[in-house]
Amino acid sequence: MALLEIRHMTHHFGGLRAVHDYNLSIEPGQVRGLIGPNGAGKTTIFNLITGIYRPSEGQILLDGAPIAGLAPYQIADRGLGRTFQDLRLWRHMTVLEHVKLAHYSKLRYGLFGAFFGTPARHREEDRITRRSMELLEMMNVAHLADQLVPNLPYGAQRRVEMARALATGPKVLFLDEPTAGMNPEELIQMMAIIRKVRQSLGLAIFLIEHRLKMVMELCDIIQTLVFGEVIAEGSPEEIQNNPAVIEAYLGKEIVE
Amino acid sequence: MVFFLQNIINALQWGSFYAMIALGYSMVYSILMLFNFAHGDIFMVGAYIGFGVATGLVTLSATGFIALPGWVILVLTILLSMFLTSFVGMIVERVGYRPLRDAPRASAAITGLMIGIILETGNLALMGARRVSFPPLIESVTYNIGGVFVTNKKILIVVVSLAFMLALHLFVQRTRYGMAMRAMAFDFVVVPLMGVPVNTIARLTFAIGSALAAVAGILFGLAYPVLDPYMGIVFGWKAFVAAILGGRGSIMGATLAGFLLGFIEIFVAMIFPSTLRDLIAYSIILLILVFRPHGFFGEPYSARLRL
Amino acid sequence: MEANRDKSPSHPPRGKGALRRACGRVPLLGWLLAILCAVLLEHYLGKALADLLGLRKIPVLLGVVTILKKPLLMPKTVLFVFLIYALPIGLTARLIREPANWLAERLMRMPVLIPAAVHLAILYAILHIWGDVSAYRVLTLKLTLIAVMLTLSLNVINGYMGEFSCSHPGFMALGAYATSVFTVGLFATDKIFGPALLPEALGVYLFPVALFLGGMVAALGALVIAIPSFRTRGDYLAIISLAFLFIVKSMIENLEFVGGPRGLSSQPDYASLPMVFSACALCVWIINNFVRSTIGKALNAVRDDEMAADAMTVNTRRTKMVAFMFAAFWAGVAGGLFAHVLRYVNPATFGIQKLAEVLAMVYFGGLNSVYGSIVGAVSLSMLSEALRPLEIFKWIIIPLLLILVMIFRPTGLIAFKEFDGRRLMQPRNRPDNEV
Repeated sequence: MALLEIRHMTHHFGGLRAVHDYNLSIEPGQVRGLIGPNGAGKTTIFNLITGIYRPSEGQILLDGAPIAGLAPYQIADRGLGRTFQDLRLWRHMTVLEHVKLAHYSKLRYGLFGAFFGTPARHREEDRITRRSMELLEMMNVAHLADQLVPNLPYGAQRRVEMARALATGPKVLFLDEPTAGMNPEELIQMMAIIRKVRQSLGLAIFLIEHRLKMVMELCDIIQTLVFGEVIAEGSPEEIQNNPAVIEAYLGKEIVE
Repeated sequence: MVFFLQNIINALQWGSFYAMIALGYSMVYSILMLFNFAHGDIFMVGAYIGFGVATGLVTLSATGFIALPGWVILVLTILLSMFLTSFVGMIVERVGYRPLRDAPRASAAITGLMIGIILETGNLALMGARRVSFPPLIESVTYNIGGVFVTNKKILIVVVSLAFMLALHLFVQRTRYGMAMRAMAFDFVVVPLMGVPVNTIARLTFAIGSALAAVAGILFGLAYPVLDPYMGIVFGWKAFVAAILGGRGSIMGATLAGFLLGFIEIFVAMIFPSTLRDLIAYSIILLILVFRPHGFFGEPYSARLRL
Repeated sequence: MEANRDKSPSHPPRGKGALRRACGRVPLLGWLLAILCAVLLEHYLGKALADLLGLRKIPVLLGVVTILKKPLLMPKTVLFVFLIYALPIGLTARLIREPANWLAERLMRMPVLIPAAVHLAILYAILHIWGDVSAYRVLTLKLTLIAVMLTLSLNVINGYMGEFSCSHPGFMALGAYATSVFTVGLFATDKIFGPALLPEALGVYLFPVALFLGGMVAALGALVIAIPSFRTRGDYLAIISLAFLFIVKSMIENLEFVGGPRGLSSQPDYASLPMVFSACALCVWIINNFVRSTIGKALNAVRDDEMAADAMTVNTRRTKMVAFMFAAFWAGVAGGLFAHVLRYVNPATFGIQKLAEVLAMVYFGGLNSVYGSIVGAVSLSMLSEALRPLEIFKWIIIPLLLILVMIFRPTGLIAFKEFDGRRLMQPRNRPDNEV
């Protein structure tokens, strides 16, 4: 059985059909890519799977258990971590606080501990601080732990967001355009980090990307989405050579 | 039935005060995205300015120097007070809101509250604690229409209010400034780049809102001639609720919600003991907002206070 | 490095920097002990000195009231304040600097509760002795401590969670009435509730229970705001909370068994200074614990980006519910104390004016900051007492001050600062601990 399986997912916004009959099955350790022109519904698919919208039809199974209809925090807790295209960091919180907060559902000390500062709370807080620092080190931003996020350079903010997503303890990591707006140097760093995450944590990764070079290099299997429908699915080579994809999407990009 | 009609008349009068004040809140909101919490007190100041102007004119008239009929005094009072009160509004904008335009909205709410306190206290310091009574400018005439008693003042209040609301509507829809206002309400960030003088429009908005509050103050003085420095609190906060109920920044919504609030209050008082009026009126408002969280005409969007 | 610089003749200590360095190295313990000396001095010698200087009595609030009432007495009052407060505090702090640092260091090696208890005990002693001089001072102190609780609890919603709640006086009213009904009903003879059911002496011990119940009633009331807050944020929630405030107020006005608009009186005299002080200290401690925990930081995440918080496993509904109920609980407790300090409540107390007062304290002191709330509540309460001789002009000066603060520091004086008790109590003889 696949780690994450989606069957016949369809979604309408009012009368508008945003996603039609979407299927996906991700195995542990796999890197999947989702490409498509702007407005094809890529982010909508992410939002449907992670619970921000509830799909009109279809099934989403994580480890065989249905998760459609659960609240986003429940889905995140069960193992779908994500980043956002527009970052969505918390302006008044430090880098370390970001990563610590993503452990929220795993905290066991409860409100009593929070109010009265029990020893259990100190143990838990120390534990998640250590784990958060490890993640920050992995992302090469540990030296920024006490900084507020608006003070960081853009590339570092992206990596903080990645560390935060990893802190939720995901089985599948959803990356929504992780390199959007990055310069070439930051891009290379980010690719190295994604590889590192994959190797050291062995997660499945599902990523939306605009830069085809990156998708082609990183992904095992790629889906191409046009107007909410998958028009092609296959290995990078297959996608590159698929005429429908070239027509719908690659045609314009390659000229660029 | 007669009783019912009688209360509709009362509710129309009562609602027109709320609607006129709510318009001021709503206009400022639509343009600056913040609530002018001092607006209730501007209403109070408007009523007092109206009192001052009216008393002055009545005295002048009594000396026989130029004898003016009551209705002329009323018209002059309304015009002069609108003019004077609009300056109060512009000062409030300059002192309390312009420096805070880029600050968190909650901070601007606090300055508004504080300006309101300053206006109340300033009035108290100037006029003393005694209540003043508004001169009866026109003689009260009561018409009996099939058992329903209508005074000429009530008709006057409702008609004048509606006329001003219509004038505002035309101003916003038809004039160049009105167009600039609507553009700013639509997008505060881009419009200034397109050559619309933001400060002028903001000042104008405060001026118009305050002038309307002054009209409401004078009309209130005609109907209930006793003024006190804290009258703005009760009315201001209720009108503020009406402005929100109508949907943020919607002029139409504010007007309708103002009348709705008037109807709710009058009819609650008609059916229940009058001490329950606030309790029931606010419970209805709370329920409306819980089930229709964006008011009647508001755009649903996830606004939050910027920190 | 810093420590050596003082000794070396090439860097003579100069002006403000020198003063700051000298002060910076006195630990909190030293300051507290120095202030304790000053209030003891006033307690034993204040009357004599006042007579000597020809002042009719000891200046109540550091002389501000006296100066505003009778400007001619200004030189004498200033001299009094200088001799009783400024000079002894400065001297003692300097003299006991080293022993205080030593003591602070010893204390900090023990479990943190012990130094905390020592500091609080000294602080209480200061307030107690200072308050002994006049009943007016005690009343001011109690009301100030209650203001701290209210401000801090409102900051949880308006600062930490970033909603604009207007219902705090309503929560306070719920707590005040619930607590009063409990104590008046059980322990006092009253024309509404009849004779006391239990001996009055027992009531002092049950008073904390009464406060807790008052807090819980307020917390239940907070559900009316918390549940709509799942779907509604910002301005509309502000109005819902405002409507709630008016509903509570007018509901109490219509409840005849608590006296309706006339109010409820004959509360027993349970809210002594130690009681109010302990409640306030507990409130500050618990709220500070909460907002510094990761569970409490979820409030900040919900404020800054709710969708991201949700995606990072934060149960946002639970977070909002907890924040509203928790804040309301403390507002209720503060209300219960308030009713028993004044020994009279009426619904008119809990209106827009109270709301403006509490909001002013929160935004003056600073959002998202325990320090800020303490500073805001203490400075505005004290200022409002000190400016009393100006009569209504007080209500022009204080709002003007707030407008200035909002213009120049829109989030308040000390916003977004963590209150770290442990750090505060550290000895300051080592350079890295200097402030």
